[in-house]
Amino acid sequence: MDPACDADGIVAMLRDEGIVELPADFPADGDLFAAGMDSMAVMQLIVVVEEHHGVALGPAEATRESLGTPARLAATIRARQ
Amino acid sequence: MTVDVLVVGGGSAGLAAAVTAARQGGAVALVERHGVLGGMGTASLVHSFCGLYRLGRDQPELANPGMPGEIEQRMRRRSGIDPVRMGKVWVLPQHPVDFVRIADELVEESGVETRYHSELIGIERRGAGWLAELVCRGRREAVAAAALVDASGDAVVADLLGAESKLSEPARLQRPAYVFGVNGVAGELPPLVIGAAIVAGVREGDLPEAARGLHFRTSGRPGEVFGTLDLSGEEAGAGYDPTDPRCLAALEGRGREVAERVTAFLRERQEGWAAAYISHWPMRAGVRESRRWLGRAVLSGAELMAGARHDDDIAAVSWPMEFRETPRGPKLRFPESGRVAGIPFAALTPRAGGGLFVAGRCLSCDHDAQASIRVMGTCFATGQAAGLAAARAAAGEDPAATPAALAAAFGPVPGLAD
Ligand SMILES: Cc1cc2nc3c(=O)[nH]c(=O)nc-3n(C[C@H](O)[C@H](O)[C@H](O)COP(=O)(O)OP(=O)(O)OC[C@H]3O[C@@H](n4cnc5c(N)ncnc54)[C@H](O)[C@@H]3O)c2cc1C
Repeated sequence: MDPACDADGIVAMLRDEGIVELPADFPADGDLFAAGMDSMAVMQLIVVVEEHHGVALGPAEATRESLGTPARLAATIRARQ
Repeated sequence: MTVDVLVVGGGSAGLAAAVTAARQGGAVALVERHGVLGGMGTASLVHSFCGLYRLGRDQPELANPGMPGEIEQRMRRRSGIDPVRMGKVWVLPQHPVDFVRIADELVEESGVETRYHSELIGIERRGAGWLAELVCRGRREAVAAAALVDASGDAVVADLLGAESKLSEPARLQRPAYVFGVNGVAGELPPLVIGAAIVAGVREGDLPEAARGLHFRTSGRPGEVFGTLDLSGEEAGAGYDPTDPRCLAALEGRGREVAERVTAFLRERQEGWAAAYISHWPMRAGVRESRRWLGRAVLSGAELMAGARHDDDIAAVSWPMEFRETPRGPKLRFPESGRVAGIPFAALTPRAGGGLFVAGRCLSCDHDAQASIRVMGTCFATGQAAGLAAARAAAGEDPAATPAALAAAFGPVPGLAD
């Protein structure tokens, strides 16, 4: 489990796990959906977040507001830790 | 029966080939295992046309002239649905029910003789042409043809002739998928929420792990959605082989089982799904990659990345390489410079020669290039080229002049204009 949960950590995780292809300097408020994240990728993302951060995101968090950018995703995870 | 051109397989490539050949005036027969044309786009319920439009454009501009645009227009007229942008690419949602009827109209208008419920089981050289053996319900029929198009998706003609072909190793083959129709869904479809509900269902042990390969999209018709379940291909054990009936049987069975379990689960859990039911199964599980021809040229992924052009290009590549080597969604690879490659006529031309051409997802290419050229918009274009080549060969004209004849008939290729 990796407790460091900030936007940079999220970008690194998304890149390492091949969930969505991002440049290393992808901005904290960049739109992940515009970058190619789709519903299939979100399903993988939920599994990976659980493995890395021990947080099981559910249907209520599966929104653009909660996961649409690295910063928002990090905040969503922290709020559940 | 004696014809000028025999087209094997009535998927998107074979449809375009047969209609194009028939419009040249000769007698054309199209042999198809099922009772509908459209192949994966109907029998497997694949429900969007990819590869119709140029890559890297702000607007949906057709990549290839002729048949792709004609089918696009007919689909838009029937469905009333415009192209949609998905990330960096444009796609046209298509409904398999509409596609079947568009194909009916096209073969009817152009005078193609369809041989439905018939399977090509043998092929041999006969004089300057070919003698094909078909079987329908146990009854055999011999068809003599001056020219032949293999649009079987499985390079069946290569296998029957013992000609050079290639099946990627099991671990690299693009994964298969099972697409099914659901009706009775109320309200908007929230794909993210449904995805999360499925992951939760797997986590809690209510759904099998395989359910994580499933996603839903609206069909464009009220209350109807399509589910696409990406499968591992290893449902019958290690070693996916899309030409092995044991393996295919396991895809079908497992696909239906998981589809039914997830639909029942969502009926219980998901808002708007209380009255949802599975309304159609596909005629066959979807196979993205199987046997490929190795012809005079073998189009490669490296050429696609580099935007290679050839003197004998007959169409523009119009889709990124879409890798599906795992059942966990696509990985897209776009050409490096943004410039797309051309598809050379030599990749539609088996070494065997003699008026034999190939089109669609089994044309001569490597595994990487197949990840792009398999999409239906591109199949319409390669089918059209193979159909014209076959008609010309049957009429005693030099098939090598096909690229020029295509340009004369349909105009320049917009996708190769830059
Ligand atoms: C799950 C899945 C999702 C996809 N998603 C998309 C998408 O969104 N957009 C897109 O454009 N493409 C998509 N594709 C790819 C695309 O659907 C196929 O690659 C394309 O339809 C191939 O067309 P084809 O004409 O080459 O072959 P096919 O569609 O496979 O047609 C071949 C035809 O030949 C017939 N046949 C074969 N052998 C014989 C024989 N011996 N005798 C008689 N008939 C025979 C078959 O019955 C079939 O009808 C997807 C594919 C799959 C599997």
